[in-house]
Amino acid sequence: MIAVETDFPQLPPALRASQPAERRGIRRDQVKLLVIDRKAEAVHHARFDRLGDMLSPGDLLVVNTSRVLPAGVRAVRASGQAIQLRPCVRRAGSWDALCVQPGPPFENIALAEGETLRIGETIVTVAGRRTDIPLLWRLRLDTADDLELILRHGEPIRYSYVPEPLPLDSYQTVYASHPGSAEAPSAGRPFSWELLAALRGRGVGLADVVLHTGLSSFQDDAFDAEHHLFEEWFEVSPETARAVNMAERVVAVGTTVVRALESAATWEGRVVPGRNWTRLSVGPERPPRAVDALITGLHEPQASHFDLLRAFVPEALLRRAYAEAVERGYLWHEFGDSALII
Amino acid sequence: MRSARCSPNHVRMNQLQGKIALITGASKGLGRAIALAFAREGAALALCARGEPALQAVASECRLLGVEVLAVPADIANPADRERLVSLTLARFGAVDVLVNNASTLGPTPLPLLVDTDPQAFEDVVRVNLTAPFLISRSLVGAMLLRGSGVVINVSSDAAVNGYPGWGGYSAAKAGLDGLTRVWAAELAGSGVTVVSVDPGDMDTEMHRAALPDDDPTALALPEYVAPAFVRLAAGGALPARLEARELLEQVAR
Repeated sequence: MIAVETDFPQLPPALRASQPAERRGIRRDQVKLLVIDRKAEAVHHARFDRLGDMLSPGDLLVVNTSRVLPAGVRAVRASGQAIQLRPCVRRAGSWDALCVQPGPPFENIALAEGETLRIGETIVTVAGRRTDIPLLWRLRLDTADDLELILRHGEPIRYSYVPEPLPLDSYQTVYASHPGSAEAPSAGRPFSWELLAALRGRGVGLADVVLHTGLSSFQDDAFDAEHHLFEEWFEVSPETARAVNMAERVVAVGTTVVRALESAATWEGRVVPGRNWTRLSVGPERPPRAVDALITGLHEPQASHFDLLRAFVPEALLRRAYAEAVERGYLWHEFGDSALII
Repeated sequence: MRSARCSPNHVRMNQLQGKIALITGASKGLGRAIALAFAREGAALALCARGEPALQAVASECRLLGVEVLAVPADIANPADRERLVSLTLARFGAVDVLVNNASTLGPTPLPLLVDTDPQAFEDVVRVNLTAPFLISRSLVGAMLLRGSGVVINVSSDAAVNGYPGWGGYSAAKAGLDGLTRVWAAELAGSGVTVVSVDPGDMDTEMHRAALPDDDPTALALPEYVAPAFVRLAAGGALPARLEARELLEQVAR
């Protein structure tokens, strides 16, 4: 644990966004935008649809086009007990998955090695725990087509601050096109088509990567605080690599984009195309080499997400920005407001 | 009217080579004809319909023409089925260049007058003919916009602009679809994504026979005759928001 995290102001529960902007009566691109200007060591307050004012022609926005799956998958134990499986690492015929209660508070359920589960007609065998992350179960599936299985038997993964189930649509970015994320790559959620087109019209470049997100929580506070890292799948195309290497300033839309681009970056910061699993952890000890600026949602200081922010922003400035965000009632989490670190 | 029943001589031009098209209601009638016409032009296809055997039969016919085909049995009125259709298509092909919102339903037949129309049946028609095209388009248009190109073709009807007794739910939903098309087109102006409504005209289809059993089918165009107009639309280019297939066929013939 990092000491700095404990002296942040407590996040009032009312600031946890329980539903998306458009259900709160504003456009998705009209959420608040906290601007952290590192050069001026200043914090400004703007609105997301004014993003263009803070970018320049020649800047390159890189988005993650991964599409969220309904990755809370209904399953049944031999005893008849209903459970929810949350696969976060998917390989052909096998999953590493969390096993939780099928409804709030979604507490972990211990399985037995060798036991069989059913998802619809599909048989799943529990091979054991993952040694590095014991809350994840290694599961064997008797089908290679797990996408169909998830789409037929899953619902969006939901946390307790979202009281009602929301349709999967609510979690998607407008450009989501590569199914595979367990949770929303939510930093890109405030983009509307209109805003993307306006940015392009101003000469801001757009490029995309894919990074399929795993789980942001293991449903265990103490375990989450240890910041366990697992592998995530990413893809950087030759076109995106070229665009990133030529751009004057690379603005990552989301920490997932940072992880993808940095995983594809050489030590001197040149991005090479590729697709692979990554276990890279970007933080103060491994600062970004290819990414210059970041658009991100607001997440609690305890989240591992925060380590990555410290790679971009000096702690004092970050602390000031977080305090101002709480004071001004910014909403947090995947349906909340946004921040630009520039 | 004999000529209307003949397919125009078809020369494969590979006009849709490299493109990926998603067609709803692809198991019969116009949807099937569009699928085959697109396959002849080299498009990879994602096809959807409720009835699996008929859908698989069309998929096989298209594969024989040498293109990759994904067949997804799905009811587009069902949100989970829509997400399955969109996600399976994107997982297979990575993108959709052309979306043809063709699936539609008449509702109960014989067609009831509005005064006798069951409210639930009315809503079911709106859900399939209007809401589903809205939401399937919404799921796919953003990625088209990011790439700066794409075509959405909504299959409309002259019932969208004319009032025929008995066609209440269908007519209202198709008029709504035309309205939806206009708003999409306005919201996406300049983006490289084209959204159009097409009235294919009267055709000899199962749906037409169910709606108007007394019509002489030999006086009607076969869907195969109309399908080339959709190839022309799918190939892209500047288009008005609403057109009739007849106008396009004249262009194709020239």
